[in-house]
Amino acid sequence: MAIEWEDGRSSTYTGEQLRWACPCAECRGEAGAPGRLARVKSLSPDELRIRDVTLIGQYALQIAFDSGHATGLYTFSYLRGLGA
Amino acid sequence: MAVPSTQQVLDVLGHIQDPDLGRDVVSLGMIKELEVNAQGKVSFTFELTTPACPVRDRFKSQAQDLVGDIPGVTGVEVRMTANVRQAFMRPKPSEILPGVKQTIAVASGKGGVGKSTVAVNLAAALRKSGAEVGLLDADIYGPSVPAMTGSRSVPEQVNGRLQPIEAHGLKLMSFGHIYPGDQPTIYRGPMVGKAIEAMMVQVDWGRLDYLVIDLPPGTGDASLTLAQAIPITGVAIVCTPQDVATDIAIKALQMFRKLNVTPLGLIENMSWYICPSCGHRHEIFSHGGAEAAAKRLGVPFLGAIPLEEGIREDADAGTPVVISRPDSPGAKAFEHIASQVAARTSIQSFRQLPVINVH
Repeated sequence: MAIEWEDGRSSTYTGEQLRWACPCAECRGEAGAPGRLARVKSLSPDELRIRDVTLIGQYALQIAFDSGHATGLYTFSYLRGLGA
Repeated sequence: MAVPSTQQVLDVLGHIQDPDLGRDVVSLGMIKELEVNAQGKVSFTFELTTPACPVRDRFKSQAQDLVGDIPGVTGVEVRMTANVRQAFMRPKPSEILPGVKQTIAVASGKGGVGKSTVAVNLAAALRKSGAEVGLLDADIYGPSVPAMTGSRSVPEQVNGRLQPIEAHGLKLMSFGHIYPGDQPTIYRGPMVGKAIEAMMVQVDWGRLDYLVIDLPPGTGDASLTLAQAIPITGVAIVCTPQDVATDIAIKALQMFRKLNVTPLGLIENMSWYICPSCGHRHEIFSHGGAEAAAKRLGVPFLGAIPLEEGIREDADAGTPVVISRPDSPGAKAFEHIASQVAARTSIQSFRQLPVINVH
C-alpha cells in the first residue's frame, strides 16, 4: 500500500507490516490485558494480505485483510509514523 | 486605438488576490468566458467559489476598475456567478451523500448555547445568498429543527428512500420529522450512530452546495459517527461568552481536530443584549470569550450574535430570523457569519486529501 501525503511526501507499506501494527483492541489488548499480537509469534499468509482499504471520515483508514480481520482503524498520523 | 488582448486583461485581473484562498483569482480559475470585441468592450464571467462570498462586491468593482484602466478598453461587463466546488478535490464523489459538495457541521460541546438556532439561521442565510442548502438535524434525543423551521410534516418514501422536508427553500431532515409528537427517543449510543447514518444514506438529499449538520451536545456517538462516515468539510463551534461554555467548546474543537476535521472557527452566541426600554447594552453572559478562545487556539473567530427576543420568538414561530426580520442586528450577524463560514469552507475545496494506492 502506498500513500501520497498532502505535503507531497510518500510512504509505502507491506501487508505484513500493517498487520503487525494493527491498532485494534483485540490485537493490542485492552484494560491491561495483552492482545493477540503479543501472544502469537507468527501469522498465516491470508492474515497478512490486504483485501480492502476504506477511508474513515478524513482521519483514518480501515484496512481489511484476506482473513477477514478488519477492526483496526489506522489514523493518518499513526500511518505517517509507521511509513518509511 | 488598438484593442487589448485577452492576455492583457488576464494579466491585470491577476492582481486581484482572494484574501481567503491566498492566491490570485486568475490562477484559481475564477475568470471565465472572457471576450474582447472589436470595439474594445471587455466581458467576462467572474465565478466565485460561494454565492455567500464576503468580498463579492469588492471583487466586482476591483475587476471593473482594473480592466477599465487598460488603454483601448471602452466598456467592461462583469457577470458575477458562483459555483460551489466539491470539498477536497476528490477524484470521485463519496458513496454517502454523493450529490453534496460541502458538509458543514455545527457543534458546541455544551448544550443550550443556541447551536440549533445558529445551524438553522446559517442554513437559511446560505440559501438566501443563492446556494442549494440542506439541513440535517443530528440531535436524535432533542431534535429542534422541525419546530424552528415550522415543518412538522412526515417525510414520504419514494423508491425506498426518504424525501427531505422542504421549508424556507431548505431541504430538511430530523428525527423529529420521522417520529413526530411528544414520544421520546430512548436509544443507547450505537443506535444513535445508526440513526444518523440512516439520515445520510436513506434520505434522498439530491444535489446540494451545502449540507449543514446540527450536532447534539457532547463529544461522543453522534459526532464520532459523523466524522467517521463522511469527510466533513469543516466544523463551526458555537459557544456563549462565559468560561463554562468556552471551556467545553474547546473540548469539542479539540475532538474534531483529533479526527482531522478542520475547525472553521468559533461563533459567539448571546454575545450582548440591548434593553428595548432603556437602550443600554448588557453583557449578560460576559462578552468576547469566544474571540479570546479562538485566538488562543489559532482558529478563526467567525462572529458574534446578540441575544434578541426576536431570534427566540421567530424560532418558536418556525421562521429563521434571517428570513422573518432580515434587517435586525441578529439577522445581519447571522449573514455575516454565514459568509465567513462559506469563505472558510471554500478553502477546503483546494485541499487534497492523502492519496492511497493498494497494489
